[in-house]
Amino acid sequence: MDRLTSWIARAVFLFLYLPIAALIVYSFNSSEVSYRFDGFTFRWYAELFADRMLLEALRTSAVVGVIAALVATVIGFLTAFALVRFRVKGRAFFVGAILIPLIVPEIVLGVSLLTVFSTAGIPTGLLTLVLGHVVITLPLATLVLMGAMSSLDPSLTEAATDLGASPWVTFRRVLFPLLRPSILAAFLLSFTTSFSNIVISTFTAGVGTTTLPLRIYSTLRTGLTPELNALGTLLVVATLGVILAVGVSQMRRILAGPTTTP
Amino acid sequence: MNASSSARPGRIAPSAAGYLMLLPALAVIVLLVIVPMLVIARDSFAISDPLGGNLGGFTLANYEKLIDPVYLKTLGYSLGMALLNAVVCTVVGYIVAYYIATRRASLQPVLLVLVIIPFLTDFLVRTFAWITLLGSGGPFISLLRALGVDAQSLVPSQLAVTLSLLYAFLPVAVFPIYAAMRSIDPSLKEAAADLGAGWWQTHARIFVPLSASGLASSVMLTFVPTLGVFVIPVLLGGGKDPLVGNLIVTLFTEFRNEPLGAALSMVVLILMLASVAGAGLLLRNGARRNRSLGKDA
Repeated sequence: MDRLTSWIARAVFLFLYLPIAALIVYSFNSSEVSYRFDGFTFRWYAELFADRMLLEALRTSAVVGVIAALVATVIGFLTAFALVRFRVKGRAFFVGAILIPLIVPEIVLGVSLLTVFSTAGIPTGLLTLVLGHVVITLPLATLVLMGAMSSLDPSLTEAATDLGASPWVTFRRVLFPLLRPSILAAFLLSFTTSFSNIVISTFTAGVGTTTLPLRIYSTLRTGLTPELNALGTLLVVATLGVILAVGVSQMRRILAGPTTTP
Repeated sequence: MNASSSARPGRIAPSAAGYLMLLPALAVIVLLVIVPMLVIARDSFAISDPLGGNLGGFTLANYEKLIDPVYLKTLGYSLGMALLNAVVCTVVGYIVAYYIATRRASLQPVLLVLVIIPFLTDFLVRTFAWITLLGSGGPFISLLRALGVDAQSLVPSQLAVTLSLLYAFLPVAVFPIYAAMRSIDPSLKEAAADLGAGWWQTHARIFVPLSASGLASSVMLTFVPTLGVFVIPVLLGGGKDPLVGNLIVTLFTEFRNEPLGAALSMVVLILMLASVAGAGLLLRNGARRNRSLGKDA
């Protein structure tokens, strides 16, 4: 039986990579209708970089992603610091409150944001997109940083304080360098989440602030183009970059809990 | 010198600074999550004009409209698909997590990264990759034709929807189950084998109960989001069988019937609460079984 489940597991890994492999192979396929593999070409990549609307959407997504991730990381840092380093009353309540956006279906978050923005007379655009993306990235950034801070030896900052360092100096010289990999991880995970979000963006984007996923979605409704395969391939490569930047061991700690086995 | 070493080591005594630091996050949650949800909860009872505009007031008409067979059919289909997807993801996720957790320590991070890569890849890319794979002229159809099967395209089809839903949510299922399984003492498996327990018994009596928390998270993390998916039914199902997510998007962005959309959103929210409660129940049962397992041993 163990052998059977092992084979199923191996088949699942194949299942995980078949679509990605097809995507990559077909992005270099010179055949127009992607009917059969005709030969190798970079043509779709060239067309991709000539597609004005797609590049515009890419820019919007990058801007929204960077701002939302920065805001989420800064607020997440403050929150994690307060929850881990202070004896805050009602700690469980605060932690629960911050995790709400992770449990509530994104589509409900999206429609309620849209309703509130339209009631308050805030036009949908860059601001509403960023606010919507902060909502869904803040819990992630906070969780990553809380995990990192609780595994930090508190005597390090205590020593700095005892030696006369001001809170700011303690942060800049001790806390920040020690937490830099986790801060980067919080930022990159938030950015990735924002960058690939479509549900919240559907309700918070305005005219002229079409994000990349929204653009891809509207293109796909008329049909798949080889150009999109090229874009997908580049995004898979970017994902590998993010994983390398965050680091495998840290990624594992974030997604599968702290290491208990050596 | 410092009060931090008093009651709980490493924790600074409560002060204004601690609460001040929580303020920004609290503002985000209250202003952008709680208040908006209260607003749509209120809107779901609002009277709508014939064009779908919000006239305020109080009525149950929106919820009554949802009892229409058209909505009930979609709701039933969505629940079925979400449940199916949650169960399939959790079962397959369990098999994969068990496989990873029982490999040697140096191999585990590598296998985990292999799950992380598709997980972090753009959701839409992961979805349209299935069009490339299963669409007309794609590798799968070409293979079928080479085998002599006359096939045109598997997109749109129910199969494509089911497969891409599994593909989209499988990694989310693997992580919590793996996390729970990693803390299971491997000697338990040996002990079970020594005591003559077969494969089935070892899993039913040891691995499943001990990874109950991971299994419950897996069900919750796959069931609720599947209800809100609207991209996959359109792109891979041809839009013929919408999920609740599609209906909500249509009601808000095309029909502009805010009160009805709000009512449907509340239904999804209630389903979410029910699944959280269900997962909690599952966990409690799991804990009880763990205790009895401890007593046996």
